[in-house]
Amino acid sequence: MPLRLLKYALSKEYKETRFFRENVTPKKSYDAVIIGGGGHGLAAAYYLAKDHGMTDIAVLEKGYLGGGNTGRNTTIVRSNYLTPEGVNFYDASVKIYEGLSEELDINLFYSTRGHFTLAHTESAMRTMRWRAEVNKHVGVDSYVVGPDEISKACPQLDISCSGHAPILGALYHGPGSVARHDAVAWGYARGADRLGVDIFQSTEVTGIDIKGGKVQGVQTSRGYISTPRVLSAVAGFTPRICKMAGIDTPIVIHPLQACVTEPMKPWLDSILVSGSLHVYVSQSSRGELVMGSSLDPYEVHSTRSSLDFVEGLTSHMLDMFPFLSNVKIVRQWGGMADMTPDFSPIMGKTPVEGFYLDAGWGTWGFKATPISGKTMAATIANDMAPDLIKPFRLSRFEEYELTGEKGAASVGH
Amino acid sequence: MSMRLQNTSGEWINRNNKIKFSFEGKDYEGFEGDTISSALWAAGEKVLGRSFKYHRPRGIFTLANHDVNIMVTDGVDTNIRADVVQVKAGMKLQVVNVDGGVMADKKRFLDSISALLPVGFYYKAFHTPRSLFPFWERIIRNAAGLGVVNFNYPRILKKKHYAHYDLLVIGAGPAGLSAALTAAREGLEVLLVDENAKPGGSFAYDNAGNSAHHAQLANMLSEAQSLPNLTVKTNAYAAGYYADHLVPIVDESGITKVRAKAVIVASGAFEQPPVFRNNDLPGVMLGSAAQRLIARYAVKPFLKGVVVTANSYGYRVALDLIASGVEVAAIVDMRAGGETDAIASVVANKGIKIHNGACIYEAVPVSGKLGVKGAIVADYDEASAQADTQKSIQIDCDGIVMCAGWAPAAALLYQAGTGMRYDDQIHQFVPSRLPNGIFAAGKVNGVFGLNQRLQDGARAASDALKYLGYVGNDTTVESFAGSSPSHPYPIVMHPKGKNFVDFDEDISVKDFIHAAQEGFDNIELMKRFTTVGMGPSQGKHSNMNAIRILARIRSLPVNKIGTTTARPFFHPTPIGHLAGRGLHPHRDTPLHQWHAEHGAVFTDVGAWKRPAYYKVDGQTKEQSIQNEAKAVRSAAGIIDVSTLGKIEIHGANAAEFLERFYTGNFKDQRVGRSRYALMLDESGVMVDDGVACRIAENFFYVTASTSNAAAVYREMQRWNQIWGLNVTFINVTGAYGAVNIAGPLARKVLQKITLLDISEDQFLLGAVADTSIGEIKARVIRVGFVSNQAYEIHVPASSVLKLWNLLLDSGSVDGRVKPFGTEAQRLLRLEMGHPLMGHDTDGLTNPFELGADWAINLNKPFFIGKRSLQIIRKRPLLKKLVAFSFKPYFQGPVPCECNLVISKSGQIEGRVTSLSLSPTLQRFIGFAYVSPVNTKLGDVLSIRTDSGQMVEAYVVQSPFIEGD
Amino acid sequence: MKLLTCPINGVRPLSEFVFGGELRDMPEAECSDKEWADYVYNRNGAPGLKKEWWYHSPSGTWFVAERDTLTDNVARTYLYEQEAAK
Repeated sequence: MPLRLLKYALSKEYKETRFFRENVTPKKSYDAVIIGGGGHGLAAAYYLAKDHGMTDIAVLEKGYLGGGNTGRNTTIVRSNYLTPEGVNFYDASVKIYEGLSEELDINLFYSTRGHFTLAHTESAMRTMRWRAEVNKHVGVDSYVVGPDEISKACPQLDISCSGHAPILGALYHGPGSVARHDAVAWGYARGADRLGVDIFQSTEVTGIDIKGGKVQGVQTSRGYISTPRVLSAVAGFTPRICKMAGIDTPIVIHPLQACVTEPMKPWLDSILVSGSLHVYVSQSSRGELVMGSSLDPYEVHSTRSSLDFVEGLTSHMLDMFPFLSNVKIVRQWGGMADMTPDFSPIMGKTPVEGFYLDAGWGTWGFKATPISGKTMAATIANDMAPDLIKPFRLSRFEEYELTGEKGAASVGH
Repeated sequence: MSMRLQNTSGEWINRNNKIKFSFEGKDYEGFEGDTISSALWAAGEKVLGRSFKYHRPRGIFTLANHDVNIMVTDGVDTNIRADVVQVKAGMKLQVVNVDGGVMADKKRFLDSISALLPVGFYYKAFHTPRSLFPFWERIIRNAAGLGVVNFNYPRILKKKHYAHYDLLVIGAGPAGLSAALTAAREGLEVLLVDENAKPGGSFAYDNAGNSAHHAQLANMLSEAQSLPNLTVKTNAYAAGYYADHLVPIVDESGITKVRAKAVIVASGAFEQPPVFRNNDLPGVMLGSAAQRLIARYAVKPFLKGVVVTANSYGYRVALDLIASGVEVAAIVDMRAGGETDAIASVVANKGIKIHNGACIYEAVPVSGKLGVKGAIVADYDEASAQADTQKSIQIDCDGIVMCAGWAPAAALLYQAGTGMRYDDQIHQFVPSRLPNGIFAAGKVNGVFGLNQRLQDGARAASDALKYLGYVGNDTTVESFAGSSPSHPYPIVMHPKGKNFVDFDEDISVKDFIHAAQEGFDNIELMKRFTTVGMGPSQGKHSNMNAIRILARIRSLPVNKIGTTTARPFFHPTPIGHLAGRGLHPHRDTPLHQWHAEHGAVFTDVGAWKRPAYYKVDGQTKEQSIQNEAKAVRSAAGIIDVSTLGKIEIHGANAAEFLERFYTGNFKDQRVGRSRYALMLDESGVMVDDGVACRIAENFFYVTASTSNAAAVYREMQRWNQIWGLNVTFINVTGAYGAVNIAGPLARKVLQKITLLDISEDQFLLGAVADTSIGEIKARVIRVGFVSNQAYEIHVPASSVLKLWNLLLDSGSVDGRVKPFGTEAQRLLRLEMGHPLMGHDTDGLTNPFELGADWAINLNKPFFIGKRSLQIIRKRPLLKKLVAFSFKPYFQGPVPCECNLVISKSGQIEGRVTSLSLSPTLQRFIGFAYVSPVNTKLGDVLSIRTDSGQMVEAYVVQSPFIEGD
Repeated sequence: MKLLTCPINGVRPLSEFVFGGELRDMPEAECSDKEWADYVYNRNGAPGLKKEWWYHSPSGTWFVAERDTLTDNVARTYLYEQEAAK
């Protein structure tokens, strides 16, 4: 047992203090207001305070911390994207993640398990090769492997997928990891709180006050807060906030669903993704298989569950792992994803001065949490986006300079 | 010793059929109808499992499908829920998640070091130094999980059924039965489901020592049987509620997807444990569990017990215990005023000591905590939840039943969007706003008395009838009188803790207090930090107490705390039940069988299986492909192109339609000619291409690529909804098959079997004609994709095989017509300099990047994507596709498709999209994207090969060959 | 699975339908590049009642559904030409 746990046994009193202060009444004004108390918003607050010395910040969360997509995703972290700008960005995120438990002093259960993107068709194999080549170029550990290597890492996998879709190979990505999603939000919240950031839960933004093309403040369920800088970090709700700011974006909301099984003794060490079968799966440190699939096919602003989703997903899980027939699904749930036309985020400045966007996170937001926080903090502090996120600027659409991630479109994870 | 009772009326066991099985290596005997738990309990066993976190011994707790600490494996299956799964002959059962058996579990020491493992301990350690985390993680993962999965478990797909009813009633207790009967009497088609083996619910087991009401139940059941429009389904649970009243009903055999016009939820309530120290010991169980044990399985819960209660229900349970021969040592009523109902005096008159305003401060364990030997009873202050231990007494007993209240089994109501409010009179959440077509009745609706539940069922049915347009009788439900069925705060504080709230995860009261102290003080954060309700029982026995504790911590009314979201499934549902829909739609061409018989190696193209190449014994794949290509160049080859999308466009505006839909010109196209048809989306990205043949003035026949055929057809229809042109579309993709014959002998071979004059000067590239080949009506298109001499022959699907054989026969004179697959096709079109959509393009490629400017007429008034192309054309081109090859005698490693082209500055300039060994040129040729400044003939491309070595290639002329 | 009402074929399960995106008016060809890019890429993504294209695959019927994207309730469905004729 680690010595750190001894204090709990030796002390009569439980001495732990609050992760974050219980803030009730916001001040009349802040240097910056961050809308959204998920991982991204809290990380941005943390890095604004830590990297840029901006501590006069309010984070406004309409529900509870990490209650949006931070707490609903399947926690896969990876950087084996298709475009150099994508790979560089997510690789920077992975690097921060690797040291984040220590930095925030909370065990995020950041678990590097290796990630296989399975290919069942020749064209999928081509895309894997393409991704591998770009990854190699940028220096990310990612290469194409054959069925034997997949079997070695995951002997339980039926390589023929019950004869329906034989696996031809995979893109293997060593740094692929999973993490405890809630803890990421809590860790950043505590870090930000200790540096002086005010965090408000159950506080909804109802309007954004803009005069002369400049942000003046926000209306909230707890009154007006004046501020020259507002960051929207509300994946799933971005169109609503953007409407308040009078900004149009390409973002459309689609539900994304997931489910978990009952716990069983861990046997699946790797993270597996199959684009053709629309499955991604890993086994958590609680022993549950955590599984997701592709987006729901049409726009709904709801986290409702559908039977179709779980029927389709389990069908394909059985193709991969026929022995799971009597393993039980305990719970299914949904999140709302900001989808963009080129499967890349929208980050940076907007036509409204002082209104910054951290959005368009589709199915790839959790893995970007640290780096989006860091780069959005820099964007706000300097009123200029760092080079790393310039490819993700909102104006790329009217400039017809979309990122190329769509080329590898399949399951986003 | 045997705890089995004498024959009990209504028991579910069949005493004529003894079931032999073993548990933890020891042999037992039960009866048919016993669950694993009831059979073991009847045999006197009490330690049936261990808890997940601290490995504490656990026995029967709910007997209602959430005794999740009692999970066993039979060596084949795992995580078998012993409380509800029937015991079968020959079962060899072992408890899961123990190390060395349930009694000697080596991990039981964890209970004694629980102080080291406070709530959320795993967030607070193991991560520094970083390098040690993998070590700790291994230990944690070993401790995780419940049973071990059997990797040889068979793949079993259970059946799926679909059913439509006017009304679905969930739960066949008093309220549900009454509702179903009321509705069925009016003629509705009704389905009544219950998860138990028999209908009746508490009607059949909550007897208070007197089973007189069973006659009424029997009457209702026989009426149910007599109504042909009422279906009763037992051993089946409603797994979830989905949009538009879709409710999957799960039983052993599969899932019935029920779509009902209205739904009555009469799912009852889960009994909730009072929280006191050691409330988890084997022998401590819910009152309803004790009643079920007695009535269903004829098993005495224990010999001498204490009833701790906070409602009149506890007194009913006491009477059932007495009737079954249990000595009830005392009733401990947590309410200062005790029970006001007359039942209290009935119990008192039996000489049972009643302690009002008292609690069980702790249950006293026997050695090893393998059971209970007494209850420490003390005065209880409801306001502070503290026991006054000054005057506590110990009552000896071997069992304790707990009756402190209920939580509605409202998961489906929540999923349907029901608003719930906390009722301060009965201390329970009840529906406050029901969605259209959803009704609630009985305990889930906050109605508890038996007569009231019967009335409430009839009332709900009447509401449903009215909703469905029938005349429902107005039924009144007698208003609630008497004490609250639930205690507002059935918690007893204890300095030493182990007063459990969540038995799945071993979460006790202090864990909630500590979580709140650390800021996790709203219900959702508390759930996530403590993991309450996240175990396999999904909070069925724990969420309500967690909410009460949090409300108390925050000094807020329960209503302000709210509930967590109830998600499907109501009970965990097996993957083999949920799966099963064949989600692998794949299509075979009419020639599939022929291909298979001739060694075809298939590849997936969209939904289709196409021959990639034909395997020849003694040849490698690469050799086979090269030989197929050589045959085309030297003689003739045939390829099955039946998978092409084929769309007929008829009407006066057919040409106008094509001009708007595709990028090129079609109005001036002559009948009997075909043209390339390129389709863009509105952003100017290339989507598909094909050939448009003008068959008649007002009739075009258009092909589309295999994988896009359905989408292209769909988009044509959609656009014409907007344009309103005089055209109709017929998708004949499946109706026609097609074969392409290509190569220098193609004309000769084809000419022999058709009257159509296809001589070089009569049937030019692009020519189209309808003719007959043999008996077959055929459409012949002269195409140039893989060869200068190639004919695409479209025939009815039923005639493709005949055509194929005719071509082979006709060629057999020359002996040189060979079939070829998609691999050779790809190679041949590369030699011809044709980029392949989806292969040389991706989801963002515009036609300028591909050099397809020739196919676009920007002078047309409109085509899809035109306005975007005008914008794109003003912007600098970012990349361009070029043809490349290598120097003669090139010795370096050959690159692969998808290898990158690297610029002088070391950046990614582009990538190789096509690369093949040209059998004609005997050198490697390919397409690659490069910087637009690097596209002149002779410009150098630096390609990084798989090994990392750079090789140089040169931009060359395309097409690569003159033709064959 | 939700149900959807095809104006021609009646109430059918959602699996028979393909979503075709929001029904929007195309700007005139003379519009500015910015207006065109706005049309091509930007969406009115906020929740509310929207007109959408839906396609009933088995019968090849395109129609318009007025659907609340917050509640997923469909207010009505009709053929495009019916409404265009008005």
